[in-house]
Amino acid sequence: MSGLIRNNFYAMESNLKISFIMAAALVFSPLIINNATIYPMIIAVQIFLFVVNTGTALHADEVAKWSKFELTLPVKRSAVIGAKYVTFAILIVCGLLIGLCTAVCINLSGQTWRFLSILWGYEYGLGLSIISVSLMYPIILKVGTEKNELVLLLSAFAAVGLMCLIAAALSPVTGEMNLQHPLAGMTSVSAALLMFPVSFAVSVNIHKNKEF
Amino acid sequence: MNGNAVTVSGLTKRYDAFALSDISFEVPQGTIVGLIGENGAGKSTIIKSILGLIHKDGGRISVLGSPIEELQPEVREDIGVVFDGTNFSEELTPEKLNRVLGGIYRSWDEAYFFALLKKLSLPAAKKIKSFSKGMKAKLSIAAAFAHHPKLLILDEATSGLDPVVRDDMLDMFLDFVQDEENSILVSSHITGDLEKAADYIVFIHEGRLIFSKPKDELLESYGIVKCGTAQFDMIARQDMIAYRKQDYEWQVLVADRNRAQKKYPKAMVIPAAIDEIMLLYVKGEIE
Repeated sequence: MSGLIRNNFYAMESNLKISFIMAAALVFSPLIINNATIYPMIIAVQIFLFVVNTGTALHADEVAKWSKFELTLPVKRSAVIGAKYVTFAILIVCGLLIGLCTAVCINLSGQTWRFLSILWGYEYGLGLSIISVSLMYPIILKVGTEKNELVLLLSAFAAVGLMCLIAAALSPVTGEMNLQHPLAGMTSVSAALLMFPVSFAVSVNIHKNKEF
Repeated sequence: MNGNAVTVSGLTKRYDAFALSDISFEVPQGTIVGLIGENGAGKSTIIKSILGLIHKDGGRISVLGSPIEELQPEVREDIGVVFDGTNFSEELTPEKLNRVLGGIYRSWDEAYFFALLKKLSLPAAKKIKSFSKGMKAKLSIAAAFAHHPKLLILDEATSGLDPVVRDDMLDMFLDFVQDEENSILVSSHITGDLEKAADYIVFIHEGRLIFSKPKDELLESYGIVKCGTAQFDMIARQDMIAYRKQDYEWQVLVADRNRAQKKYPKAMVIPAAIDEIMLLYVKGEIE
Protein backbone atom coordinates (compact mmCIF):
# COMPACT_ATOMS: atom_id res chain seq x y z
CA MET A 1 0.00 0.00 0.00
CA SER A 2 2.96 2.34 0.57
CA GLY A 3 3.42 2.81 -3.18
CA LEU A 4 -0.23 3.77 -3.62
CA ILE A 5 -0.06 6.34 -0.81
CA ARG A 6 3.19 7.69 -2.23
CA ASN A 7 1.51 8.02 -5.64
CA ASN A 8 -1.38 9.98 -4.10
CA PHE A 9 1.03 12.48 -2.60
CA TYR A 10 3.17 12.77 -5.73
CA ALA A 11 0.00 13.41 -7.77
CA MET A 12 -0.98 16.26 -5.42
CA GLU A 13 2.54 17.61 -4.95
CA SER A 14 2.14 20.92 -6.83
CA ASN A 15 -1.22 21.70 -5.23
CA LEU A 16 0.05 20.64 -1.82
CA LYS A 17 2.93 23.10 -2.09
CA ILE A 18 0.45 25.93 -2.69
CA SER A 19 -1.72 24.76 0.22
CA PHE A 20 1.32 24.57 2.45
CA ILE A 21 2.48 28.07 1.50
CA MET A 22 -0.99 29.48 2.17
CA ALA A 23 -1.37 27.60 5.46
CA ALA A 24 2.15 28.53 6.54
CA ALA A 25 1.49 32.20 5.77
CA LEU A 26 -1.61 32.03 7.96
CA VAL A 27 0.54 30.80 10.87
CA PHE A 28 1.91 34.33 11.22
CA SER A 29 -1.42 36.12 10.85
CA PRO A 30 -1.78 36.58 14.67
CA LEU A 31 1.30 38.84 14.46
CA ILE A 32 -0.71 41.19 12.22
CA ILE A 33 -4.33 40.60 13.23
CA ASN A 34 -5.19 41.33 16.85
CA ASN A 35 -8.65 39.76 16.90
CA ALA A 36 -9.18 36.64 18.99
CA THR A 37 -12.49 35.81 17.29
CA ILE A 38 -10.71 35.23 13.96
CA TYR A 39 -8.05 32.81 15.26
CA PRO A 40 -10.34 29.73 15.40
CA MET A 41 -11.43 30.34 11.81
CA ILE A 42 -7.80 30.64 10.71
CA ILE A 43 -7.03 27.26 12.30
CA ALA A 44 -10.14 25.68 10.74
CA VAL A 45 -9.17 27.03 7.31
CA GLN A 46 -5.60 25.73 7.71
CA ILE A 47 -6.91 22.21 8.40
CA PHE A 48 -9.33 22.33 5.47
CA LEU A 49 -6.79 23.79 3.03
CA PHE A 50 -4.98 20.46 2.73
CA VAL A 51 -8.00 18.35 1.82
CA VAL A 52 -9.31 20.70 -0.87
CA ASN A 53 -6.66 19.30 -3.22
CA THR A 54 -8.00 15.79 -3.19
CA GLY A 55 -10.78 16.31 -5.75
CA THR A 56 -8.40 17.79 -8.30
CA ALA A 57 -5.87 15.01 -7.73
CA LEU A 58 -8.57 12.35 -8.18
CA HIS A 59 -9.62 13.99 -11.45
CA ALA A 60 -6.01 14.13 -12.67
CA ASP A 61 -5.62 10.40 -11.89
CA GLU A 62 -8.80 9.65 -13.79
CA VAL A 63 -7.64 11.62 -16.85
CA ALA A 64 -4.23 9.93 -16.74
CA LYS A 65 -5.98 6.52 -16.51
CA TRP A 66 -4.09 5.74 -13.29
CA SER A 67 -7.45 4.93 -11.64
CA LYS A 68 -7.85 2.15 -14.21
CA PHE A 69 -4.22 1.07 -14.19
CA GLU A 70 -3.98 0.75 -10.40
CA LEU A 71 -6.59 -2.00 -10.54
CA THR A 72 -4.16 -4.12 -12.55
CA LEU A 73 -1.56 -3.85 -9.77
CA PRO A 74 -1.03 -6.66 -7.26
CA VAL A 75 -3.27 -5.09 -4.62
CA LYS A 76 -6.88 -5.63 -3.61
CA ARG A 77 -9.50 -3.01 -4.40
CA SER A 78 -9.94 -2.40 -0.67
CA ALA A 79 -6.23 -1.52 -0.49
CA VAL A 80 -6.63 0.99 -3.35
CA ILE A 81 -9.46 2.68 -1.45
CA GLY A 82 -7.63 2.28 1.86
CA ALA A 83 -4.63 4.14 0.44
CA LYS A 84 -6.93 7.06 -0.47
CA TYR A 85 -8.36 7.24 3.06
CA VAL A 86 -4.89 7.00 4.64
CA THR A 87 -3.88 9.89 2.37
CA PHE A 88 -6.91 11.93 3.50
CA ALA A 89 -6.02 11.20 7.13
CA ILE A 90 -2.39 12.26 6.63
CA LEU A 91 -3.52 15.49 4.94
CA ILE A 92 -5.83 16.29 7.86
CA VAL A 93 -2.99 15.58 10.32
CA CYS A 94 -0.78 17.98 8.30
CA GLY A 95 -3.49 20.63 8.68
CA LEU A 96 -3.69 19.94 12.41
CA LEU A 97 0.06 20.35 12.78
CA ILE A 98 0.04 23.65 10.90
CA GLY A 99 -2.90 24.73 13.07
CA LEU A 100 -0.80 23.85 16.10
CA CYS A 101 1.93 26.18 14.83
CA THR A 102 -0.70 28.95 14.62
CA ALA A 103 -1.72 28.30 18.22
CA VAL A 104 1.94 28.52 19.26
CA CYS A 105 2.29 31.77 17.28
CA ILE A 106 -0.80 33.23 18.98
CA ASN A 107 0.69 32.35 22.35
CA LEU A 108 4.12 33.76 21.51
CA SER A 109 2.67 36.96 20.07
CA GLY A 110 1.30 37.78 23.51
CA GLN A 111 -2.24 38.25 22.15
CA THR A 112 -5.19 37.46 24.38
CA TRP A 113 -6.84 34.16 23.51
CA ARG A 114 -9.20 31.63 25.05
CA PHE A 115 -8.41 27.92 25.09
CA LEU A 116 -11.99 26.89 24.31
CA SER A 117 -12.11 29.26 21.38
CA ILE A 118 -8.92 27.82 19.87
CA LEU A 119 -10.17 24.29 20.59
CA TRP A 120 -13.33 25.09 18.65
CA GLY A 121 -11.16 26.10 15.69
CA TYR A 122 -9.67 22.61 15.72
CA GLU A 123 -13.05 20.96 16.17
CA TYR A 124 -14.62 22.97 13.36
CA GLY A 125 -11.68 22.36 11.01
CA LEU A 126 -11.63 18.65 11.79
CA GLY A 127 -15.39 18.26 11.46
CA LEU A 128 -15.46 20.21 8.20
CA SER A 129 -12.51 18.33 6.67
CA ILE A 130 -13.43 14.80 7.74
CA ILE A 131 -17.12 15.08 6.89
CA SER A 132 -16.32 16.76 3.55
CA VAL A 133 -13.94 14.02 2.36
CA SER A 134 -16.21 11.32 3.79
CA LEU A 135 -19.04 12.61 1.62
CA MET A 136 -16.96 13.72 -1.37
CA TYR A 137 -15.01 10.54 -2.16
CA PRO A 138 -17.87 8.02 -2.46
CA ILE A 139 -19.87 10.57 -4.49
CA ILE A 140 -16.94 11.16 -6.85
CA LEU A 141 -16.49 7.41 -7.20
CA LYS A 142 -20.13 7.09 -8.12
CA VAL A 143 -20.60 10.08 -10.44
CA GLY A 144 -17.06 10.54 -11.80
CA THR A 145 -14.42 13.16 -11.23
CA GLU A 146 -15.41 15.73 -13.86
CA LYS A 147 -17.36 17.85 -11.35
CA ASN A 148 -14.96 17.31 -8.45
CA GLU A 149 -14.90 21.00 -7.43
CA LEU A 150 -18.69 21.13 -7.27
CA VAL A 151 -18.85 17.86 -5.31
CA LEU A 152 -16.25 19.16 -2.84
CA LEU A 153 -18.14 22.43 -2.44
CA LEU A 154 -21.46 20.65 -1.88
CA SER A 155 -19.78 18.23 0.53
CA ALA A 156 -18.35 21.15 2.50
CA PHE A 157 -21.80 22.81 2.62
CA ALA A 158 -23.30 19.51 3.76
CA ALA A 159 -20.61 19.24 6.44
CA VAL A 160 -21.43 22.73 7.75
CA GLY A 161 -25.13 21.86 7.59
CA LEU A 162 -24.57 18.67 9.56
CA MET A 163 -22.57 20.51 12.20
CA CYS A 164 -25.37 23.11 12.47
CA LEU A 165 -27.90 20.29 12.81
CA ILE A 166 -25.83 18.75 15.61
CA ALA A 167 -25.62 22.13 17.36
CA ALA A 168 -29.39 22.57 16.96
CA ALA A 169 -30.10 19.07 18.28
CA LEU A 170 -27.94 19.80 21.31
CA SER A 171 -29.56 23.17 22.03
CA PRO A 172 -31.71 21.79 24.88
CA VAL A 173 -28.42 20.85 26.63
CA THR A 174 -26.28 23.82 25.52
CA GLY A 175 -29.01 26.40 26.16
CA GLU A 176 -29.12 27.70 22.57
CA MET A 177 -27.98 26.66 19.12
CA ASN A 178 -24.30 27.31 19.63
CA LEU A 179 -21.81 25.87 17.14
CA GLN A 180 -18.93 27.00 19.37
CA HIS A 181 -20.16 25.14 22.43
CA PRO A 182 -17.55 22.48 23.40
CA LEU A 183 -20.26 19.79 23.45
CA ALA A 184 -21.39 20.68 19.93
CA GLY A 185 -17.78 20.72 18.72
CA MET A 186 -16.93 17.38 20.34
CA THR A 187 -20.12 15.78 18.98
CA SER A 188 -19.37 17.08 15.48
CA VAL A 189 -15.85 15.61 15.59
CA SER A 190 -17.21 12.32 16.96
CA ALA A 191 -19.80 12.20 14.17
CA ALA A 192 -17.07 12.95 11.62
CA LEU A 193 -14.85 10.19 13.01
CA LEU A 194 -17.78 7.80 12.76
CA MET A 195 -18.52 8.84 9.18
CA PHE A 196 -14.94 8.27 8.02
CA PRO A 197 -14.89 4.43 8.31
CA VAL A 198 -18.49 4.25 7.10
CA SER A 199 -17.46 6.29 4.05
CA PHE A 200 -14.55 3.88 3.49
CA ALA A 201 -16.88 0.87 3.57
CA VAL A 202 -19.32 2.57 1.18
CA SER A 203 -16.47 3.51 -1.19
CA VAL A 204 -15.12 -0.06 -1.22
CA ASN A 205 -18.58 -1.29 -2.11
CA ILE A 206 -19.01 1.29 -4.90
CA HIS A 207 -15.54 0.53 -6.24
CA LYS A 208 -16.13 -3.24 -6.31
CA ASN A 209 -19.19 -2.73 -8.48
CA LYS A 210 -17.65 -0.02 -10.65
CA GLU A 211 -16.47 -0.74 -14.18
CA PHE A 212 -13.38 0.96 -15.56
CA MET B 1 -1.87 -24.02 -15.51
CA ASN B 2 -3.23 -25.89 -18.56
CA GLY B 3 -0.52 -24.64 -20.92
CA ASN B 4 -2.47 -21.47 -21.56
CA ALA B 5 -1.57 -18.15 -20.00
CA VAL B 6 -5.08 -16.92 -20.75
CA THR B 7 -8.21 -18.90 -21.54
CA VAL B 8 -11.34 -17.07 -22.58
CA SER B 9 -14.41 -19.25 -23.00
CA GLY B 10 -17.84 -18.03 -24.09
CA LEU B 11 -17.20 -14.46 -22.91
CA THR B 12 -20.31 -12.31 -23.14
CA LYS B 13 -20.68 -8.68 -22.17
CA ARG B 14 -23.70 -6.55 -23.00
CA TYR B 15 -23.96 -2.78 -23.14
CA ASP B 16 -26.92 -0.72 -24.38
CA ALA B 17 -25.58 -0.30 -27.91
CA PHE B 18 -22.93 -3.02 -28.10
CA ALA B 19 -22.41 -6.60 -27.06
CA LEU B 20 -19.54 -9.04 -26.97
CA SER B 21 -20.97 -12.41 -27.88
CA ASP B 22 -19.54 -15.80 -27.05
CA ILE B 23 -15.85 -14.97 -27.42
CA SER B 24 -13.49 -17.91 -26.96
CA PHE B 25 -9.75 -18.06 -27.50
CA GLU B 26 -6.53 -18.95 -25.74
CA VAL B 27 -3.14 -17.38 -25.24
CA PRO B 28 -0.85 -20.45 -25.16
CA GLN B 29 2.17 -20.17 -22.89
CA GLY B 30 5.25 -18.90 -24.70
CA THR B 31 3.35 -17.22 -27.51
CA ILE B 32 2.30 -13.79 -28.69
CA VAL B 33 -1.37 -13.51 -29.52
CA GLY B 34 -2.53 -10.51 -31.52
CA LEU B 35 -6.05 -9.23 -31.04
CA ILE B 36 -7.24 -7.38 -34.13
CA GLY B 37 -10.43 -5.69 -35.20
CA GLU B 38 -11.80 -2.32 -36.25
CA ASN B 39 -12.40 0.52 -33.77
CA GLY B 40 -15.26 -0.44 -31.49
CA ALA B 41 -15.01 -4.13 -32.40
CA GLY B 42 -14.65 -5.08 -28.73
CA LYS B 43 -10.89 -5.57 -28.30
CA SER B 44 -10.58 -3.27 -25.29
CA THR B 45 -13.72 -4.77 -23.74
CA ILE B 46 -12.10 -8.21 -24.00
CA ILE B 47 -8.90 -6.93 -22.40
CA LYS B 48 -10.82 -5.18 -19.63
CA SER B 49 -12.73 -8.39 -18.99
CA ILE B 50 -9.50 -10.39 -18.79
CA LEU B 51 -8.10 -7.87 -16.30
CA GLY B 52 -11.30 -7.86 -14.23
CA LEU B 53 -11.89 -4.13 -14.84
CA ILE B 54 -15.45 -4.82 -15.99
CA HIS B 55 -17.93 -7.47 -14.94
CA LYS B 56 -18.68 -10.02 -17.64
CA ASP B 57 -22.23 -11.16 -18.23
CA GLY B 58 -21.28 -14.69 -19.16
CA GLY B 59 -18.46 -17.10 -19.91
CA ARG B 60 -15.26 -18.02 -18.14
CA ILE B 61 -11.85 -16.40 -18.08
CA SER B 62 -8.75 -17.79 -16.47
CA VAL B 63 -5.44 -15.99 -16.26
CA LEU B 64 -2.23 -17.82 -15.34
CA GLY B 65 -4.32 -20.70 -14.07
CA SER B 66 -6.66 -18.63 -11.88
CA PRO B 67 -10.29 -17.84 -12.65
CA ILE B 68 -10.56 -14.07 -13.06
CA GLU B 69 -13.01 -13.84 -10.15
CA GLU B 70 -10.38 -15.32 -7.83
CA LEU B 71 -7.36 -13.49 -9.17
CA GLN B 72 -5.17 -12.81 -6.15
CA PRO B 73 -2.51 -10.08 -5.87
CA GLU B 74 0.16 -12.83 -6.07
CA VAL B 75 -1.05 -13.72 -9.57
CA ARG B 76 -1.37 -10.06 -10.59
CA GLU B 77 2.30 -9.72 -9.63
CA ASP B 78 3.01 -11.82 -12.74
CA ILE B 79 0.92 -9.70 -15.10
CA GLY B 80 2.28 -6.61 -16.81
CA VAL B 81 -0.27 -4.26 -18.33
CA VAL B 82 0.05 -1.40 -20.80
CA PHE B 83 -2.92 0.67 -21.89
CA ASP B 84 -2.99 3.16 -24.74
CA GLY B 85 -1.69 6.61 -23.71
CA THR B 86 -0.66 7.47 -20.19
CA ASN B 87 -0.99 4.92 -17.45
CA PHE B 88 0.43 7.00 -14.59
CA SER B 89 -0.21 10.24 -12.75
CA GLU B 90 1.22 12.94 -14.99
CA GLU B 91 2.77 14.84 -12.08
CA LEU B 92 5.19 11.95 -11.56
CA THR B 93 8.66 11.61 -13.00
CA PRO B 94 10.01 8.15 -13.93
CA GLU B 95 12.17 8.36 -10.77
CA LYS B 96 9.09 8.88 -8.63
CA LEU B 97 7.24 6.18 -10.57
CA ASN B 98 10.05 3.82 -9.63
CA ARG B 99 9.41 4.60 -5.94
CA VAL B 100 5.65 4.18 -6.41
CA LEU B 101 5.80 0.83 -8.23
CA GLY B 102 8.70 -0.33 -6.04
CA GLY B 103 6.31 0.04 -3.11
CA ILE B 104 3.69 -2.09 -4.84
CA TYR B 105 5.44 -4.92 -6.74
CA ARG B 106 7.47 -7.31 -4.62
CA SER B 107 9.39 -8.32 -7.73
CA TRP B 108 10.11 -4.72 -8.82
CA ASP B 109 13.61 -4.54 -10.34
CA GLU B 110 14.81 -0.97 -9.92
CA ALA B 111 18.12 -1.54 -11.75
CA TYR B 112 16.32 -3.11 -14.71
CA PHE B 113 13.78 -0.27 -14.78
CA PHE B 114 16.52 2.37 -14.99
CA ALA B 115 18.37 0.28 -17.58
CA LEU B 116 15.19 0.22 -19.67
CA LEU B 117 14.75 3.99 -19.26
CA LYS B 118 18.26 4.41 -20.59
CA LYS B 119 17.71 1.95 -23.43
CA LEU B 120 14.51 3.72 -24.43
CA SER B 121 16.11 7.18 -24.07
CA LEU B 122 13.67 8.36 -21.43
CA PRO B 123 14.69 11.10 -18.98
CA ALA B 124 14.32 9.89 -15.38
CA ALA B 125 13.79 13.30 -13.79
CA LYS B 126 11.28 14.93 -16.15
CA LYS B 127 7.57 15.02 -15.35
CA ILE B 128 5.47 12.58 -17.36
CA LYS B 129 3.15 15.41 -18.41
CA SER B 130 5.99 16.82 -20.52
CA PHE B 131 6.44 13.50 -22.37
CA SER B 132 5.24 12.91 -25.91
CA LYS B 133 2.70 10.15 -26.58
CA GLY B 134 5.49 7.86 -27.75
CA MET B 135 7.57 8.53 -24.61
CA LYS B 136 4.57 7.78 -22.40
CA ALA B 137 4.04 4.49 -24.24
CA LYS B 138 7.72 3.59 -23.83
CA LEU B 139 7.58 4.40 -20.11
CA SER B 140 4.50 2.19 -19.68
CA ILE B 141 6.27 -0.65 -21.46
CA ALA B 142 9.41 -0.19 -19.32
CA ALA B 143 7.27 -0.30 -16.16
CA ALA B 144 5.46 -3.41 -17.40
CA PHE B 145 8.76 -5.22 -18.02
CA ALA B 146 10.48 -4.07 -14.80
CA HIS B 147 8.65 -6.42 -12.48
CA HIS B 148 9.47 -9.49 -14.57
CA PRO B 149 5.93 -10.55 -15.46
CA LYS B 150 5.01 -13.90 -17.00
CA LEU B 151 2.17 -12.40 -18.99
CA LEU B 152 2.06 -9.06 -20.75
CA ILE B 153 -1.28 -7.58 -21.75
CA LEU B 154 -0.96 -4.65 -24.12
CA ASP B 155 -3.93 -2.62 -25.33
CA GLU B 156 -2.89 -0.52 -28.35
CA ALA B 157 0.44 -0.04 -26.59
CA THR B 158 2.51 0.61 -29.69
CA SER B 159 0.07 2.90 -31.50
CA GLY B 160 1.86 6.14 -30.58
CA LEU B 161 5.33 4.97 -31.46
CA ASP B 162 7.36 5.70 -34.56
CA PRO B 163 8.34 2.69 -36.76
CA VAL B 164 11.91 2.52 -35.39
CA VAL B 165 10.83 2.42 -31.74
CA ARG B 166 7.97 0.06 -32.61
CA ASP B 167 10.50 -2.28 -34.16
CA ASP B 168 12.63 -2.14 -30.98
CA MET B 169 9.53 -2.89 -28.93
CA LEU B 170 8.66 -5.87 -31.11
CA ASP B 171 12.19 -7.19 -30.59
CA MET B 172 11.68 -6.78 -26.83
CA PHE B 173 8.41 -8.70 -27.08
CA LEU B 174 10.05 -11.48 -29.10
CA ASP B 175 12.90 -11.72 -26.56
CA PHE B 176 10.33 -11.84 -23.77
CA VAL B 177 8.62 -14.96 -25.12
CA GLN B 178 11.91 -16.67 -26.04
CA ASP B 179 12.01 -18.80 -22.88
CA GLU B 180 8.56 -20.21 -23.79
CA GLU B 181 7.20 -19.49 -20.31
CA ASN B 182 6.23 -15.88 -20.92
CA SER B 183 3.27 -14.88 -23.04
CA ILE B 184 1.82 -11.73 -24.58
CA LEU B 185 -1.69 -10.72 -25.51
CA VAL B 186 -1.53 -7.58 -27.63
CA SER B 187 -4.32 -5.66 -29.27
CA SER B 188 -3.24 -3.45 -32.12
CA HIS B 189 -4.46 -1.62 -35.17
CA ILE B 190 -1.03 -2.00 -36.70
CA THR B 191 -1.44 -5.40 -38.27
CA GLY B 192 2.03 -5.19 -39.81
CA ASP B 193 3.53 -5.40 -36.33
CA LEU B 194 1.45 -8.46 -35.56
CA GLU B 195 2.52 -10.08 -38.83
CA LYS B 196 6.07 -9.75 -37.59
CA ALA B 197 5.64 -10.79 -33.98
CA ALA B 198 2.41 -12.67 -33.32
CA ASP B 199 2.05 -16.45 -33.27
CA TYR B 200 -1.74 -16.37 -33.28
CA ILE B 201 -4.27 -13.85 -34.53
CA VAL B 202 -7.66 -13.40 -32.91
CA PHE B 203 -9.98 -11.36 -35.09
CA ILE B 204 -12.97 -9.63 -33.52
CA HIS B 205 -15.64 -7.91 -35.61
CA GLU B 206 -18.70 -6.14 -34.16
CA GLY B 207 -18.34 -7.98 -30.86
CA ARG B 208 -18.06 -11.43 -32.44
CA LEU B 209 -15.10 -13.73 -32.88
CA ILE B 210 -14.39 -14.15 -36.58
CA PHE B 211 -11.41 -16.44 -36.14
CA SER B 212 -8.59 -17.40 -33.82
CA LYS B 213 -5.86 -18.96 -35.92
CA PRO B 214 -2.10 -19.42 -36.07
CA LYS B 215 -0.64 -16.47 -37.97
CA ASP B 216 1.40 -18.74 -40.25
CA GLU B 217 -1.73 -20.59 -41.32
CA LEU B 218 -3.34 -17.28 -42.27
CA LEU B 219 -0.34 -16.02 -44.19
CA GLU B 220 0.49 -19.33 -45.85
CA SER B 221 -3.03 -20.47 -46.74
CA TYR B 222 -5.32 -17.47 -47.11
CA GLY B 223 -5.41 -15.73 -50.43
CA ILE B 224 -7.29 -13.11 -52.39
CA VAL B 225 -8.73 -13.99 -55.77
CA LYS B 226 -8.79 -10.93 -58.02
CA CYS B 227 -11.05 -11.31 -61.00
CA GLY B 228 -13.66 -9.78 -63.24
CA THR B 229 -17.40 -10.22 -62.94
CA ALA B 230 -17.55 -13.22 -65.29
CA GLN B 231 -14.97 -15.15 -63.30
CA PHE B 232 -16.48 -14.02 -60.02
CA ASP B 233 -19.77 -15.60 -61.04
CA MET B 234 -17.95 -18.88 -61.60
CA ILE B 235 -16.46 -19.04 -58.11
CA ALA B 236 -18.37 -21.43 -55.89
CA ARG B 237 -19.96 -19.69 -52.90
CA GLN B 238 -18.55 -22.30 -50.52
CA ASP B 239 -15.03 -21.31 -51.59
CA MET B 240 -15.61 -17.71 -50.59
CA ILE B 241 -15.05 -16.38 -47.09
CA ALA B 242 -15.77 -12.77 -47.99
CA TYR B 243 -15.80 -10.67 -51.13
CA ARG B 244 -16.10 -7.12 -52.30
CA LYS B 245 -16.15 -5.19 -55.55
CA GLN B 246 -13.50 -2.57 -56.01
CA ASP B 247 -13.48 -0.36 -59.10
CA TYR B 248 -13.37 -2.86 -61.96
CA GLU B 249 -12.41 -6.02 -60.08
CA TRP B 250 -13.80 -8.38 -57.54
CA GLN B 251 -11.73 -9.41 -54.54
CA VAL B 252 -12.57 -12.73 -52.97
CA LEU B 253 -11.01 -13.97 -49.76
CA VAL B 254 -10.34 -17.71 -49.83
CA ALA B 255 -9.03 -20.00 -47.10
CA ASP B 256 -6.80 -22.10 -49.39
CA ARG B 257 -5.14 -20.05 -52.09
CA ASN B 258 -3.31 -22.97 -53.73
CA ARG B 259 -6.53 -24.86 -54.12
CA ALA B 260 -8.25 -21.72 -55.45
CA GLN B 261 -5.47 -21.18 -57.99
CA LYS B 262 -5.87 -24.74 -59.27
CA LYS B 263 -9.65 -24.55 -59.34
CA TYR B 264 -9.81 -21.12 -60.99
CA PRO B 265 -6.65 -21.01 -63.14
CA LYS B 266 -7.76 -17.90 -65.04
CA ALA B 267 -8.08 -15.85 -61.87
CA MET B 268 -5.19 -14.10 -60.18
CA VAL B 269 -4.71 -15.44 -56.65
CA ILE B 270 -2.36 -13.56 -54.34
CA PRO B 271 -1.34 -14.10 -50.71
CA ALA B 272 -3.47 -12.16 -48.25
CA ALA B 273 -1.90 -9.91 -45.65
CA ILE B 274 -3.61 -9.66 -42.28
CA ASP B 275 -4.92 -6.15 -42.89
CA GLU B 276 -6.39 -7.29 -46.24
CA ILE B 277 -8.10 -10.21 -44.52
CA MET B 278 -9.46 -7.78 -41.92
CA LEU B 279 -10.61 -5.30 -44.56
CA LEU B 280 -12.44 -7.94 -46.56
CA TYR B 281 -14.22 -9.20 -43.46
CA VAL B 282 -15.14 -5.70 -42.31
CA LYS B 283 -15.95 -4.04 -45.62
CA GLY B 284 -16.88 -6.99 -47.79
CA GLU B 285 -19.85 -9.28 -47.97
CA ILE B 286 -19.46 -12.39 -45.85
CA GLU B 287 -20.58 -15.74 -47.21
